Amino acid sequence: MDAGKKREIIALIEEALNVPEGTITEDTMIADVEEWDSLAHVMIIGELEERLEISVPLEEAVELTGVRELLEKCEENF
Amino acid sequence: MGENVEKQQKQKLALLSNVNMNLVIRMLRKQAEVYEAEGYGNELGILMNPSSSYHAFEPDITFLVEDLMELLEHDLEPETAVEKMDRWFACLESALLAKEIYYIGDAYLRGPELPAADRGRKTALEGLWQKRLEAFCKAHGNVRILPCHHMIETLGEENAFSPKMWYMGRILLSNEAQKRLCELILDKVRIEYRIPKKVLLLDLDNTLWGGLAGENEHTPVLLSEEYVGLAYKNLQRLLWQMQRQGVLLGIVSKNNEQDALEILEKHPHMVLRPGAFAARRVNWAPKHENIRDIARELNLGLDSFVFWDDSPAERQLVKEMLPQVEVPDFPDKPEDLAPAMAEIFREYFEKPFITEEDREKTAQYAAISERMRLQESAGSFEDYLRELKIVVRRVEPKKHAERLLQMMNKTNQFNLTTRRYTQAQIAEILEDPDRCVYLYNVADRFGDNGITAALIADCRGEVPVVTDFVMSCRIMGRNIEDALVEDVEKDMRGRGWNRLRAMYVPTAKNVPVSGLYKRLGYAEVEAAGGNGVLYEIGLAKTPERRYDVRMDETQG
Repeated sequence: MDAGKKREIIALIEEALNVPEGTITEDTMIADVEEWDSLAHVMIIGELEERLEISVPLEEAVELTGVRELLEKCEENF
Repeated sequence: MGENVEKQQKQKLALLSNVNMNLVIRMLRKQAEVYEAEGYGNELGILMNPSSSYHAFEPDITFLVEDLMELLEHDLEPETAVEKMDRWFACLESALLAKEIYYIGDAYLRGPELPAADRGRKTALEGLWQKRLEAFCKAHGNVRILPCHHMIETLGEENAFSPKMWYMGRILLSNEAQKRLCELILDKVRIEYRIPKKVLLLDLDNTLWGGLAGENEHTPVLLSEEYVGLAYKNLQRLLWQMQRQGVLLGIVSKNNEQDALEILEKHPHMVLRPGAFAARRVNWAPKHENIRDIARELNLGLDSFVFWDDSPAERQLVKEMLPQVEVPDFPDKPEDLAPAMAEIFREYFEKPFITEEDREKTAQYAAISERMRLQESAGSFEDYLRELKIVVRRVEPKKHAERLLQMMNKTNQFNLTTRRYTQAQIAEILEDPDRCVYLYNVADRFGDNGITAALIADCRGEVPVVTDFVMSCRIMGRNIEDALVEDVEKDMRGRGWNRLRAMYVPTAKNVPVSGLYKRLGYAEVEAAGGNGVLYEIGLAKTPERRYDVRMDETQG
C-alpha cells in the first residue's frame, strides 16, 4: 500500500474519532485511544466501506487490535 | 430572533429506537443536550417506566425512530403484524406526556427475506404503519411524523443501509444516512421553535411565468405542459400546495394590471388564479412602497414577509429599503425554480403542524380587503358594525389547545399581558378547575375568521383576575373585545363573583390596547408588579358598551 493511501485511511480514522491530526500513527493500538470505543470502531469500518470502498470482512473487523493490522487488512481487501 | 435561538439551544432531546442509534446521539450531542439510554431496544420500557433515567432527564422533544422489521420480529403476515404494531402504539399511548413533543419515524421496511416475500408486501406493511401513525398524530396534538422514509429514498436504499455495521453493532443505517437523520432531527427542532413567515410576495414576469405579459402577439408567455413552460407551471403547483398549508401569497409586480389579469384569469396553464392571492399590487410604484402598503392592509409586521423576484435590482432595493423582509436568492435556470421554492418553504414557512385555521387563511385575508371596501361605503361606524353581522361563538378550549397555544405565543398587538406559554403550561391551565379559559370563534358576513380570541381568568384568589386576553389583529377595530369581556363578566357573575379584575402589562407592541380596560369601565386599583396595571370592576352593574355582535350560544 502506498504512503498516500495510508495517510488517507489514518485521516479518515482521525476524523471519525474526532481527534487532532497526528494523534493516530501506524503504531497506535486501539486500546490506547480513549475515543476508539466499540461504537467508534463500527463507524470506522463503515466509513472505510462507504468512502474508500474498502471492505474489511466482518470476522476480521471485530478482531483488530491496532492500526498496522487494520492497514494490512485494508490492503488485502482493497 | 435571538431569544428563539437561545430557546432552541436549551431544548433537551431524546432519541429512542429499537436499534443502535448511539452514533446519531453522539452527532446530535455536538449541537444539543441529548439523552442517552442505557443500551437500546428497550424504548417502550424506558417510556413506560416513570422512574427511568429518561423521565429524570425530562426531554422536551422525544424522537422515536423504529426499525419496522425489528418491531415485527420479521413476521411479515399482515394479520399478526398489525397486532404487533397496535401493541406498540398502545404502549406508547399509555406513556405519552402532555408537556412533551414526540416525533415518530415513518417506516422503511428492509430485511434479508424481502426479495423472496410476496410482491407488494413491503409497501403493504409500511402502509399499515403509516395509517396507524397518522391516526395517532391526529389523536395527539403533541405527536408528529418524522419523515425517515423520504430521507432513505432520497439517499437510495443501497447507500442508506450498512449490513456490515448492522452485523457488528446493530447499527442499521450507514454513516451517511445517520448524518442525514441527525440533520433531519435538528431541522425539526428548529422548525418547532422558530416563528414562521406568513406571506410570500411574488413578482410575475420571469417569476410565475417566463417572458413578459402584454406582448402576447409577438411573444406569448412561457407557461405550458412542456419544456421551460412546464418548469414555471411546476413552480405554481408547488406554490399552490404551500398556499394550502397556510402560506399567504401576494403579487408585487410592475406591469399593466390589465395585461397581468388577462393571464392570471384566462391563461389555460395558470395554476394560481387571482383568488389564490391574499393581496395584489400590480402597478409601477416602487416595490418597497407596495410591500409596506400590503403589510398595512393585512395588518401584519414587515418581518412576516418573504419577497421573491427574478430581478437582482428589485431584490437589492427591497433588501435595502425594508431590511425586515426576507429576500432569498433567485435561481439562474427555470428548472431550478421549484426546488429553490421548496427550500424557501422549508427555511421560512414550514410549520411543525397545520391547524384548520392555516388552511382557511387565504380566504380570511382576502375577505379583509372586502371589509375595508364596506367600511368606506357604510357611513357611520355603527352602520358598518351592523352591516358586518358579526357572530361570536365560545368553543371548547380543550379541543383547540394547539390553537390556544399558537395565539398566546404569536399575538403581539392585541395582547394585554403578553405572557408566553409552553404546551405543558397550557395543558396544566386547561386541567385546572380554578382557571377559566374562554376561546372564541368569530365570523361575519364575509366569512369565518376562525378561532381568533382567548381570555384566561384566574379564580384562585379573593377576586378573579383576567390574566390573559389576546385577539387576532384580523378582527381588531370592531369592538368585538367589548362583547367578549362582557361575556366573561356574565360568566363570572354566574359563578357567584361580584367583582372582576383584569391585568395590563405594556410592551413595545401592545400600545393599541393600553386603554382597553379603562374604556370598558374598569378602575385602576394598583400597579401590578413591574410596570403592569391591575384594574377592577363591580359585576352588579357594568356600563353600556357599543358593539354589534351576536353571541351564538351553541358550544363547538
